[in-house]
Amino acid sequence: MPLIEVKNLSKTYNTTAVPVQAVKNVNLQIEKQEFTAIVGPSGSGKTTLLNLIGGLDKPTNGSVFIEGKDISTLRSNALTEFRLHHIGFVFQAYNLIPVFTAKENVEFIMLLQGIPKAKREKRAIELLNAVGLSDRMHSRPSQLSGGQQQRVAVARALASHPNFVLADEPTANLDSRTAESLLDLMDQLNKDYSMTFIFSTHDPKVIKRARRIITLEDGAIKSDITVAN
Amino acid sequence: MLASLAWKNVWRNKKRSLIMILAIALGLWGSLLAGAIWMGWGESMVNTAIDRDLSHIQIHNQKYLQNKEITNFIPDGFRVLKETISVPGVKAASGRTLIEGMAASPISTFGVKIVGILPVEEKKVTNIHTRLIEGKYFESNDRNPIIIGKKLADRLNLKLRSKIIISFQGLDGSLIYAAFRIVGIYKTESALFDQSNVFVQQANLFRLLNTEPIIHEIAIRLQSSRLMPQIYNEVKTKYPNLSVQTWKEIAPEIAVTSAAMESFTYLFLTIILLALLFGITNTMLMSVMERIRELGVLIAVGMKRIKVFTTILLETIMLSLTGAAGGFAIGGITITYFSYTGIDFSAFASTMESFGASPTLYPFLPMSMYIALPLMIVITASLSAALPAWKAVHIEPATAVRIY
Repeated sequence: MPLIEVKNLSKTYNTTAVPVQAVKNVNLQIEKQEFTAIVGPSGSGKTTLLNLIGGLDKPTNGSVFIEGKDISTLRSNALTEFRLHHIGFVFQAYNLIPVFTAKENVEFIMLLQGIPKAKREKRAIELLNAVGLSDRMHSRPSQLSGGQQQRVAVARALASHPNFVLADEPTANLDSRTAESLLDLMDQLNKDYSMTFIFSTHDPKVIKRARRIITLEDGAIKSDITVAN
Repeated sequence: MLASLAWKNVWRNKKRSLIMILAIALGLWGSLLAGAIWMGWGESMVNTAIDRDLSHIQIHNQKYLQNKEITNFIPDGFRVLKETISVPGVKAASGRTLIEGMAASPISTFGVKIVGILPVEEKKVTNIHTRLIEGKYFESNDRNPIIIGKKLADRLNLKLRSKIIISFQGLDGSLIYAAFRIVGIYKTESALFDQSNVFVQQANLFRLLNTEPIIHEIAIRLQSSRLMPQIYNEVKTKYPNLSVQTWKEIAPEIAVTSAAMESFTYLFLTIILLALLFGITNTMLMSVMERIRELGVLIAVGMKRIKVFTTILLETIMLSLTGAAGGFAIGGITITYFSYTGIDFSAFASTMESFGASPTLYPFLPMSMYIALPLMIVITASLSAALPAWKAVHIEPATAVRIY
């Protein structure tokens, strides 16, 4: 059974006078431990597809199966619960809680999962060590660089033991050196922890690292290439 | 951790939160102080009435309440008085002979209640002896001494040591005239009382009436007003044929006004809190609108909407309770200070007297208000949080993360 299976997925926005079909009849399967990049020009539907896979948006047609479970039929609360336990998110603008320290940001997800304090503290420290921020655990986001904030976001995404991580243009706000360093980290996590990463990006550095590249154009899959290591 | 997040969010925009906290604190301080003054006013009305003449409990012949005839005295009144004094919890009791009559001076006459007392006993029950502005409290050897109120003295153009003619109906229906010498002039907080009550010694009345000692009223002072319901029941059970009343039944208007003061305080507080409600809503709405992306991310990563709602609610309650704590602190200090020194309203003395209150008020708040007020604030905060929290839980994470 594939980790993610997308069947005949379409999304139409009716917010303007002319309906906009952002995703058109997309079919794809993603297996465990993939390091996949969804690429395409702006407006090609990358983020919409990522949002649909992540259960942040509801499809107009079609289904998204995560480990065989159709999440497109889940109600809002059940979907939120599903995201909490199965999906990790990394956003372009880091989106950490500004009033929390790095450690508290990582712990917070586990708090929502109901994990006891001692256990979540231990895991938060482990994860921050893994992303190379052992000395910045008690710093607030405003005291961290962009790259450091994105590392905290990665640690936060992994905190809930997700099945996969969705990263929406994670390197867009980083300089190339920091971006490379972050990609090294994600690559390492992919290999060490068998963590599945799915990126939406148009950053060549990410595309270069990806082992599968799905190209979207006008909401439809134009190409799906698996890159040999 | 949710509470920690909420508390940290309160201080995210320090200036804005501090302004709101200050507004809540000052609003509460003002309303607490105003409420305490009203409560003090009500208390003053009650206390002055109890100290002046009502005392805590009174006993009468049942017929006396319908018809204040001299003949409607308490049967075997002095035995009842003696027994009453021995009831545990009774501090003192005074038997009064009451006669409706007329007071006349060379220039005018006025209807008065003649109160025949035993000065030594009456002193233990009421405080008229401390309200003398001229003369002494039955300490001279004058024949037929009388103490009258300042208002009556002014009305009849009488002075200390003046003669006053008192007329009243005797037990047999005959009209009795007697000259009394003014040995004291008193002034209480109630001008109405001062112009219509004169005090004489019981022995003089009995001599003029040519009767055995009779009393129409037994005024009972208790060791504590908390004992009133218990002793009232005891006395009422003991004397089923007599009328036993608490001061609340004798002067319901004072009891009602005193209770109304508490209601006014709650009403005033409600109005202040209602005004604050809109301010708090505005502050929290701004706070939510500034954080749409962040709240959207929280929902995206798995925070249930009920928890988002709870966080906003907690933030609002914490903001409001912080302001309330400030208001309580300043209000508590101010009220405690003035409860010792009193607030001098002598500039409005005549108005205060018309309400039967002392011109110096000692503000206070009952314990129930210290319990009710935090609850009222939590309710206000919860209502204030409704709109911002509703806004927060309706955030669409995909839109919030992307657009804001």
